[in-house]
Amino acid sequence: MLTYKLERNHGIILPKEEIGLDVSGDVAKHVFVSHAHADHLPRDRFIHVYASPATARLMRARGFKGDITELDFGKPVEFDHARVTLYPAGHILGSAMIGVESDQGHTLYTGDYKTPPSPVTEGFDCPKQVDYFITEATFPLPIYKWRHHDELFEEMREFAHKSLEEGYTPVFLCYNLGKAQEVMHGLAPLGITQQIHGAGFELCNIYREFGYNLGSYEAYDRKSVNDNRILITPSSSLEQPMIRNLRKKRVAYVSGWATHESRRTQLTIDKLFPLSDHIDFFELIDLCEKLNPKMVYITHTPNPRVVTHYLEQKGISSQPLNMEGFDDD
Amino acid sequence: MMTDIASQTFLRFCETVQEIAESRGSLKKTQLFANYLKSLNKADDIDRAIRFAGEGAFSSVSGKRASIGARTVALCAAEFCEINYDIVFKACRTATGSASETIEKLMNNIPVAKSRRSPSALSLAQVEQLYIELEKERKRDTKQHLLIKAWEQMTPLEIKYFIRVMGQGSLRIGFEAKSIVNAAAKAFDQDPEDVRYAHMITGSLGEAATLAYMNRLHTATFTLFQPVAFMLASPIESRAIEDITHYIAEEKFDGMRCQLHAGADKVTLYSRDLNEITHSFPEVVDFFTPKKLPGIVLDGELCVFSDNTIKPFQLLQKRMGVKKPSKKMLEEFPVVFISYDILFADDKPLFGKTLVERRDILQEICKQYGIMRSRQFEVTSNEQVEDMFERAIAHGNEGLMLKHKDSTYEYGQRRKSWLKVKKPSGSIDTVIMYAHAGSGKRGGTYSDFTLGVSVKGDDRYEEEFIPIGKAYGGYTDEELKRLNKEMKKLIVDRFGPTYSLKPGLVVELEFDDIQVNKRTKAGYTLRFPRFKAIRWDLSPSDADTLMDVERMYNQKLHEERKPQSQHQSFIGN
Repeated sequence: MLTYKLERNHGIILPKEEIGLDVSGDVAKHVFVSHAHADHLPRDRFIHVYASPATARLMRARGFKGDITELDFGKPVEFDHARVTLYPAGHILGSAMIGVESDQGHTLYTGDYKTPPSPVTEGFDCPKQVDYFITEATFPLPIYKWRHHDELFEEMREFAHKSLEEGYTPVFLCYNLGKAQEVMHGLAPLGITQQIHGAGFELCNIYREFGYNLGSYEAYDRKSVNDNRILITPSSSLEQPMIRNLRKKRVAYVSGWATHESRRTQLTIDKLFPLSDHIDFFELIDLCEKLNPKMVYITHTPNPRVVTHYLEQKGISSQPLNMEGFDDD
Repeated sequence: MMTDIASQTFLRFCETVQEIAESRGSLKKTQLFANYLKSLNKADDIDRAIRFAGEGAFSSVSGKRASIGARTVALCAAEFCEINYDIVFKACRTATGSASETIEKLMNNIPVAKSRRSPSALSLAQVEQLYIELEKERKRDTKQHLLIKAWEQMTPLEIKYFIRVMGQGSLRIGFEAKSIVNAAAKAFDQDPEDVRYAHMITGSLGEAATLAYMNRLHTATFTLFQPVAFMLASPIESRAIEDITHYIAEEKFDGMRCQLHAGADKVTLYSRDLNEITHSFPEVVDFFTPKKLPGIVLDGELCVFSDNTIKPFQLLQKRMGVKKPSKKMLEEFPVVFISYDILFADDKPLFGKTLVERRDILQEICKQYGIMRSRQFEVTSNEQVEDMFERAIAHGNEGLMLKHKDSTYEYGQRRKSWLKVKKPSGSIDTVIMYAHAGSGKRGGTYSDFTLGVSVKGDDRYEEEFIPIGKAYGGYTDEELKRLNKEMKKLIVDRFGPTYSLKPGLVVELEFDDIQVNKRTKAGYTLRFPRFKAIRWDLSPSDADTLMDVERMYNQKLHEERKPQSQHQSFIGN
């Protein structure tokens, strides 16, 4: 069994290796950040951390002031008690899975991840085999099976195109970091200018710096948003004037949770696009089988029992790792 | 008009219905369905499509049901997909909040389920045949076998709607009878009022649409022993009344709505959902049959009546659904029919006449044949309404009905024509157990709540709290905001759009009635539960217990009711 310590409401500590994974502050000698979503970032903004180059860039943009040692994917860093390697996680730009080799064996911590990877990430890669697999399971049920990006992008373009043609402003509700850029990348071939709300705009520029095509975009502008534009904004703004004042609009909700029909009436929207940046149930079980670990630890999940049940059938031991705080996807 | 072969398939029906579910605005939905109906271009298929969309596998008036329980369907689906029912299926259903949606997704995602299905573009007629076979079969095993055979020939979308249609209820696509009537009128170029009327008197959406299609709506005639859709009342709170003296008042009986058809040698009774319930109430039949009535239809109420007192609805419940009541039951819970409206007499439907005109006819017939009828009271002022209300309650009635004197008899809720004045039966302190993401204008917040009562120290349960009801309203926007904030600290689990909460928030829940319901964990359900107050001052240990609920139920059951000798709620016994 892996020796680990849980940090309440936050990350995991491997005490023997002196390593902290997505922890809140200076609680371990070497702190690693998997990706730049708020629930994975340290709360103490002045510590020293290790992260991928893109994550480092995004962290600074989101107000992190500490020292970041940038680690390229696949290039290990050596410590007294461990060797640590980052693997591209396919979740958002810069997202990494963290592999730790030590006397305990080979541990892989996924952070948030997705395979097949999102097209606006560094892709997905992982070790061939691990001893301990600490995995998120945001979508841990067989009702979740994602369709291919290209298929969903095609439908999104059609939705945007048709809305504009009929005189409506298409609005895509999606998370500011990651999902927004993925959607914009998918809509880019339309050649229509996309407007993105506030903080999202800065993040888009970082994606562009790293060479991802998001098409033509600009910051949200109340005066021109009606003028043949696509609006990208988080679902929290649904009740805000930005969206409320748009009289002629068609609203799409882009999220793994869009799998649920009930989201349609709950959010009063026109279209659901079940595009997620998390791994789906089937890929998760397959990956566990491939990695064939001694133990799978399940974190960030609304309910681990079904995953455990399926892994049991495959002869793989697993147990929930109790951490609170879920991603908002 | 186009007729392509694919239009008569069940798949085309399902695709249309799904498109309607995904569209917003009733105009758009109606247009989509109208286009689809037009493309069918065959009376049988129009009948089937309309029935599947609005009524179920069988017409409401047919009394037929596929009769296959939700649990049987779910178990069957789990078997089909080769998944564990308790661990996997239930978790998925909790996440989606819908068994049929869960099944659709599993059928789509799970490889073994996929390999078992080879969709064969079943026609509407073939699907109807499947329902008929299910209805005829009595054994559960064979029913399950039939279900699996059916699914093997369907796509996941077809399976989802096959299950929903089988449930004989709403398809839950925001497209109900009124819109379906409008779609039929639009498709076949008829006046929606004519289609509506045909629906009311035939009690069948399918027949109304078929007549519309054949341009024969004028032949829709009322026939005795074929139930008519009921006129319904709106709660008075929701309506502004201009002049209360335009209304008459009747006491609202604590019974069950019923339509009585009587001819020379036959009497039949129908419930509000147009099912025939004649055999459950032989004493009513025996009362009317010897009168040899000249063909009339009465709208009224069935009540348990003994010791010159109207008895609680809970006692009537013991008679409901019992096909052949025993002699003991008939003695213990004798039922009477109290009429308050007349819909047919002298070979003529009376729907178009005003309430006052219908009342005159009713009076005369009731006097002549000795039939019980409600008492009507003139309304002079709001204060007088309050007095009458109190008196009605004292006699064990639910409250008052106010009916507009000039109103005609029209099915469904006709705005301000009929109003009900009721008093909440009680309230209990409950804890919030689950919060569900809200809908409509409350989207984005958690506005629907499952509330629980305490069963701590109750030997029958292992839990500390069990659900007693779900409530959606009764709070202000401010309160809801605070509730959402406080709730965050109590989250223990999430299933899709649902949060499971630690007990911490106490709500005073108001309701209209408590009913026995063996299928729930508590054994009781509340009618129309809603927030009365959020009790920030109370803690979960202050919550009422299931035993409190049981006590209230029994109290209501044995509450003293004044007999009819002191004041008459109805005339003629």
